[in-house]
Amino acid sequence: MHNGINTVRPVETLAIAASGEEIRRASAWLTTALRQRDVPNPQVERLELALHEVLANVLAHGGNPMRAEPIRICLEVRAKATTGEARVKVRDAGMPFDPTGAPAHTPARTLAEAPLGGLGLPLIRRCSDWMSYRREGGRNHFVFGARWPKL
Amino acid sequence: MSISHTDIGDNLRKIVILGRLDHPGTESVANELEKLAAAPKKGVVVDVSSLKFLASLGIRALLKCAKAVEERGGRMVLVVGTNSQVVMSLEATGVSSLIPMFKRDDEAERAAVA
Repeated sequence: MHNGINTVRPVETLAIAASGEEIRRASAWLTTALRQRDVPNPQVERLELALHEVLANVLAHGGNPMRAEPIRICLEVRAKATTGEARVKVRDAGMPFDPTGAPAHTPARTLAEAPLGGLGLPLIRRCSDWMSYRREGGRNHFVFGARWPKL
Repeated sequence: MSISHTDIGDNLRKIVILGRLDHPGTESVANELEKLAAAPKKGVVVDVSSLKFLASLGIRALLKCAKAVEERGGRMVLVVGTNSQVVMSLEATGVSSLIPMFKRDDEAERAAVA
């Protein structure tokens, strides 16, 4: 707030290159932006982890087309009468990958039979109140978010 | 990101990881973690209670080490303290039922060499 006017924009965007260091930059950006918008800490932590996993999936599955353009992230925070809502959109030019279409994670029964992969999607699901995916214009558009009750 | 270890007697190694086990953080410590967990000790305790962030890549590194320890007949356990974010990540991926988790060091050390 400045002179009684809320100067925090409802929508914030970031473009990153496809690398681990850039994922860390995106995490820091999202955390700062959510805190500036008074999003409660549990939702900040969940969304930060979900974004990290979404971007890690892009890196893992995007292939060469992913490098054609930056990965774009858009955050929108809305306040409704009784709830707050944060929506994160991730757009990338990588190979088609639909996280919502993957089968549900079945935990291994023993350490010996546990696969080393497939751990990111359960985290995205646990950390998001909803998610959606579409392929449009040669790009993946993945949206996820969180809601919280307003005090 | 930092990783350190202490050997407690002949049978137990304790490894402490601090910082963020995110994409770059895991890349920076994964090899060292594997080397430390490969020591010929019966029990390995990995303290993740002070981690600020635990992503799937970090969990994968922990899982890989726990498998290697088990394959040589040992046991790896985790100290999670009261770190609810770390516990949530381990529970969401089902890893909490594969690698035993303890709040306290002494409990973890006993379990690792039991």
